Formats: sequence, C-alpha cells, structure tokens
Amino acid sequence: MRETVLTEDQRDALQEIANLAMGQAATRLATLLDTFIELSVPRVRVVRVEDAARTLRDMTGIDEHVIAVRQGFRSDIKGEALVICRSSGVGNLCALVNDPYVHSAYESVSQTELMFDVANVLTGACVSCIMNQLDRTPIFSAPGLLGEKLALEDVFHADVLAWRTALLLEVNFSLEDKTFRAHLVMLMAEESIRRMNEALNAILSSL
Amino acid sequence: MNQVMEQSLSDLVIERVDFGIFVLDRTMKVLMWNRFMQDHSGLPAEQVVGKSVFDSFPELPRVWLTRKVESVFQLGSFAFSSWEQRPYLFKFDHDRPITGGVDFMQQDCTFMPLTRGREVVAVCVTISDVTNVSVMQREREEAVVKLREYANRDGLTGIANRRFFEARLRDEFARWQRYGGELSVLLFDLDHFKDINDRFGHAVGDTVLRVMAQRVADALRAQDIFGRFGGEEFALLLPCTPLADAMIVAEKIRTTICDTPVEAEGVRVPVTASVGGAAARPGLPGYEVLINEADAALYSAKRQGRNRSVALA
Repeated sequence: MRETVLTEDQRDALQEIANLAMGQAATRLATLLDTFIELSVPRVRVVRVEDAARTLRDMTGIDEHVIAVRQGFRSDIKGEALVICRSSGVGNLCALVNDPYVHSAYESVSQTELMFDVANVLTGACVSCIMNQLDRTPIFSAPGLLGEKLALEDVFHADVLAWRTALLLEVNFSLEDKTFRAHLVMLMAEESIRRMNEALNAILSSL
Repeated sequence: MNQVMEQSLSDLVIERVDFGIFVLDRTMKVLMWNRFMQDHSGLPAEQVVGKSVFDSFPELPRVWLTRKVESVFQLGSFAFSSWEQRPYLFKFDHDRPITGGVDFMQQDCTFMPLTRGREVVAVCVTISDVTNVSVMQREREEAVVKLREYANRDGLTGIANRRFFEARLRDEFARWQRYGGELSVLLFDLDHFKDINDRFGHAVGDTVLRVMAQRVADALRAQDIFGRFGGEEFALLLPCTPLADAMIVAEKIRTTICDTPVEAEGVRVPVTASVGGAAARPGLPGYEVLINEADAALYSAKRQGRNRSVALA
C-alpha cells in the first residue's frame, strides 16, 4: 500500500522538506510568541481510513479525551490541519503564548478565542512553511472546534469519509521543560497526494 | 482581455461585493477601503486611506488588532476572528434593527497576507456580516433550552413530570446513601377523582388537577421537589426532612387541598386527598423501595377512610 502512494525517494524528499519547514516555522513562532517552542521532527505516514485513528493514537500516545481544532487549507494541494491535545491540557496549550496581554482587563480575551488563536498560529506557521517549500501559497479557512472532549476515533468518521487513503504528517510542540505536548496533524486525501507527488518529482528533478 | 480591463473589473468587484475589504500596512495605515466599509462606517475612502485606522476609529481594540495584523506579517499566514468569540470589530449597524435583537452587526473577520515573492507587503482584512447566522443560532439555543425544560415538565400542571422527579429522587437518594442525614417522600392522591371526572366532565377534572398542583406548589419550600406521578397521583421529595416533619407537611398539603373547594366552569367542586409518607432508613436498597413504601402508606390512608395522611408504620 505504502509503496504505491509514495516512492522511497518521494518520501525522503517530503521528510526533508518537512524538516526544513519546521525549522523555519520554529523561528517564526519564536519571533512572534517570544518563547521558544520546540517542534519535533515531523513524522510522515500513509494511512488507510480505517487505520487513521489508531495510527494517530500510536503517534501521539494519547488514550484520553482530546480537544481538537481544525482548519482547512488549500492550493492545488489541499487538506485539513488539526491541532490536538489532551482535554486536560487546554490551559497549557494557551500558555504556549506567554502573553501578559491575555490577562488585561481592558481588552479581555476568552479562553476559546485564545485557543483558536494559538491553534491558528501553530497551523499557519507549519502548514505555510511546508507549502512554501512545495512552492505553493495556501489559503486557510477559519479555525473551528471539532470538540472539547473527543475520543480520537471521533475525529475521523470512517463510515462517511470520501477518501480511502490519506497522507498524515504529525509534528508535536512542547515548551522547553517538556511538561506538555500538543500535536499538529496535516491530512491530505488521494487527489492531493497525487499533486504532492508531482510537486515532489519537480523538486527531485531540479536537484 | 487586456491588463487594464482586468484590473478595473477586479476594482468593480471589490467595490460592489457585499463584504468589507480593507488593507493595512505594518504601521496600521489604511491602504484600501471598499464601498461596504464606506457605507457601514459612513467614512469614505478619501477620509480613511493614508491614515492610521485608529485615527478614524479610536474605539477599535487597539492592542488586539495590532497583534492580529502583526502575526500575519510575521508568519505570512492567515488570522481569523469569529463572531462567536468577538461579536464585532467595527460598530456597524445591521439590517435587522427590529427583529435582530443584537446591538451591532455580527462579524467574522479574516486577515490575509498580501505577498510579493516571500515578503508580506500588506494585510487584507475582510469583514463578513453574519448577523443572520448569529440570530438563527441564538434562536436555536433558546429553543433547545425550552425543549429541555418542557421535557422535564408535566404538560397539564406545569410541575415536574415523573421522569424528572425520579431523576431527582435518584440523585437525592444517592446523596443520602453517601452522606446520610434525612430524606422523606410523600405520595398523595385526590380522593374519588374518577367521580369528579364522571360528574363534571374532564375539563373540570383538569382544572381541579391544575389548581391543586398550583396550591400545593405555593405551599412548599424551594428545595422540595414536587411532581405529577400520573393521573391524580402526585409525589413530593423532601430532602433533609425526617419522617415526623414530612408528616406535618403531609397534613399541610391535605388541608390546603380540602379547605377550599375548586371553582371550575361555574361549579364548586369539593376535593380531598390522601397522603402516604416514608423516609429513607439504613438498609433500603434503592429509591424505588422508598416510593413503594410511600405508596403502601397511601394505600393504607385510603383504606382507613381517605382524607387523611399516614406514615409507613
């Protein structure tokens, strides 16, 4: 299954691109947030729809309920990005932005608004950087809450999904003390995988 | 189509489109301002463009907006604001002043990077009027609250229905099992209610039930739970109340009911009630048993001649 979707060269190229992109994203996030957020080496998997939840569970090591914020992104390559963390960790997620302004009484910001902002910033930085490496400029849709107390299985509705196979790219974020992790997952279905292949081939042939 | 023509078509679209479009540079200076923004703010492009947006709109949330725009410049990615968290950015009127029930136009905002090469040269902000969506969502939320309430109420009398009563009894019983204390239940039943229905008709019977439920409800304490168990049978849950005190309440209910006949459809209907009481005591396996015991006491009150209250012996 895996070989038919991405060749070994394509996979290596994608991994390399994702590594570069995360470096860029980390720099941009550090400037914006004034905090150093550690980004893991991104992990790329090709998953069948029925295995998606289990794969995500294996990759994240999360058994508990999660909070998940989703955003669509599109160019000719399109997909969805999810920011996922344990439901108990919302406070920590928001604390990724170490920002006195949040506590200002004058212009108050609700926890939900802050959570969307943080998710949007993480998604925006990582997805934009990866897409830029592929020579694409993505357009994003507004972030939406999938749920505050979800089982990972509920993130994917395997029975109604239009795709059979998806490319799953996972990055995790932690603060320097590593007490807390949040995960970003990029998901792209067949048509976008095909276009991703073309983009990767273009990069490989230009080397 | 030549370049000039394409350019002007885009300009026409931007002018006519039914959402706000404006462009800011990194110092928050306005570079572009479309017709929607002009119509709703009352300030034309000539007055707004070339100046800081805060000069024209000092009431804008300055820190918040500056940070949003700055994040787009720094990340080269999008930023958003939803009416659900922040109802509006600009204090614009909406087109539902009569039926809307919201103060200002509810807005979804998108902040888009405008890039040349890899560099963000400006940020384009779009404002969508989502007042209708917000009004519909509020109506839906209100409907859900009402439905939830109706699901707990008896349609005829307006007091709690059996389902809700039993749920509360289960909770209170669990609390009593965990923490101890006192917990009593009264069941009461209007005497010979079938005769009332037969003699005066169901409309009168219904009025009797409604009036009795109201009278009893008015006589209770706030923490007591009063529900219709079905037909002419009612139940009362009395937390933190020993059986002796519950039987005082039982007498109060009985006299409240029998002291004054009910006036309905031009007839005076004398009504009496029988009351049975039981209290939770160690060894009771579940709240259903408590109900059964109160029911046995009620049966005993009926057998002893009705219009009386009896505690489980």
